[in-house]
Amino acid sequence: MSAVAPPMEGATGTSGRTAAVAWRGEVDASCAWPVMAFFGSAIFWLLAGSVLALLASIKMHTPGFLAGAEWLTFGRVRPAHLNAVIYGWASMAGVGVLLWLQARLARVRLPLQGLLIVGCALWNLGVVGGILSILTGSSTGVEWLEFPYPWSFLFAGVFAVVMAASMMMFTGRRVRTLYVSQWYLLGAVLWFPFLYVMANALIHGNLARGVVQAAANWWFGHNVLGLWFTPIGIATLYYILPKILGRPIYSYYLSLLGFWTLALFYNFAGTHHLIGGPLPAWFITVGIVGSIMMFIPVTIVGLNHHMTMKGYFHLLKASPSLRFIVFGGMAYTVVSYQGSIEALRRVNEVTHFTHYTVGHAHLGVYGFFTMVMFGAIYYIMPRLTGREWSSPRLIKVHFWGAAVGILAYWIGLTWGGFVEGLMMNDPNVPFLDVMRYTIPFLWSRSFAGILMTVGHLAFAVLAWRMFFPRGERVLGAALFSGRGRPGVPLVHEGGEA
Amino acid sequence: MNVVYLLIWGSVIVFGATAVYGLLWAIRTGQMQDFSRGALSIFDEEEPVGLITDAFPRRNGSEARSEDER
Repeated sequence: MSAVAPPMEGATGTSGRTAAVAWRGEVDASCAWPVMAFFGSAIFWLLAGSVLALLASIKMHTPGFLAGAEWLTFGRVRPAHLNAVIYGWASMAGVGVLLWLQARLARVRLPLQGLLIVGCALWNLGVVGGILSILTGSSTGVEWLEFPYPWSFLFAGVFAVVMAASMMMFTGRRVRTLYVSQWYLLGAVLWFPFLYVMANALIHGNLARGVVQAAANWWFGHNVLGLWFTPIGIATLYYILPKILGRPIYSYYLSLLGFWTLALFYNFAGTHHLIGGPLPAWFITVGIVGSIMMFIPVTIVGLNHHMTMKGYFHLLKASPSLRFIVFGGMAYTVVSYQGSIEALRRVNEVTHFTHYTVGHAHLGVYGFFTMVMFGAIYYIMPRLTGREWSSPRLIKVHFWGAAVGILAYWIGLTWGGFVEGLMMNDPNVPFLDVMRYTIPFLWSRSFAGILMTVGHLAFAVLAWRMFFPRGERVLGAALFSGRGRPGVPLVHEGGEA
Repeated sequence: MNVVYLLIWGSVIVFGATAVYGLLWAIRTGQMQDFSRGALSIFDEEEPVGLITDAFPRRNGSEARSEDER
């Protein structure tokens, strides 16, 4: 790994201006191949996940749809959708953003590029293998860990490479001060692989059976969100939002307080998924307390985000990345408050096992994390390829499809799911009446899914043109510095500044 | 069965302990001392405070311009 930046926060020091100008372009160039590989794969899985999602959604209100093929039954398509978007789309986009962000924050070239590209290929192999196993009926039946266990070795191996690259950048960093995003990324990259290996050993190693398996399962399932996606998403928010606005975060002190409170509380929250289950009461109460304590970090992030944006909301019209990122930040606040309240026993006895929970999950993984990843990819890809996005119109189709889609999805299922829960708790209402009541809301979900998929198609076309451009290279507004900026010579991999 | 409870809560405590260790490390190495330096560490003279770094591409895709419309 060769460092490119002057020592310390060099640009403000006395070191030469040429070095200060060159480092960012060279860091971005070093990320190009591995990060683009992760992004390209992620977008493929986004499309595959959308198709599986639509199949599952349509089957909920039209059970006869494609009912003849056993590998397309609901019980297989639904976990295939979950795993395609979690391990395919969200994790691969997250790893891509994490690698780029850490290289930027540390001001070093991305290490282990070759290994990371191999890792990306192996990860794809794992997702393909796992999803085929699910569709052919070999799912383990443990939610979030449906892939048969041999595939988990593959993922664990790739995690090790990502972890190594991340630690090399951290220890070799040229900036002594750790920016708040760096803390979040360190959390994600150190906690999650450990959690993944631990949960696989417990569940697939037959250590945890029965009720205890459910406990291990939800401790893992919730921490995928809390210790993997959330820190990557928040790290991205804290970097890209100030960078787009050209304005430091409103309160840096609060941002650090937010990180440390999240680090202390979030990993206790998982057992709230088992409210009403046959587990010791204290076991669940710990999860509820952890969930309620999350009000602190969430309020901090929301407040900081809003105060940084204050006075700059007009830029939402001008910047595509900002639209997605701000939408994602707002969804984070809403979904987290909703989640904390949902963890209370009195609320949970209504919402548990209804569509309400499904709406909540999608607001988190889609409204928050996926939207932040979209925004990040819009910001990062032009800087990696030195090429501008080809069509502002397609970006708008993507944004409005995704934004209106997820809002319609969430409102429909939150409303329908809550009433469904109230009806199910009333012994005088026949079960079939409850199911009939939910059908219009299930249709609204399929409609919302179509809107989101249209957005994804627009995104895929834009990304396709990034990978396989036609005609001359387009230089544009997103390229302010480093590669591709007029007047600044391109810095090639391995080249001198 | 108790072994599993022990493993789960053990891991939870290990996570908590790494967080506490990180926090102590941060305080010891002065990460909590100068907040403005932390907040400004992502800016430099090439992309200084005040420069807006993202905008919609223009339809004809011509060259870069800085979008200073504040």
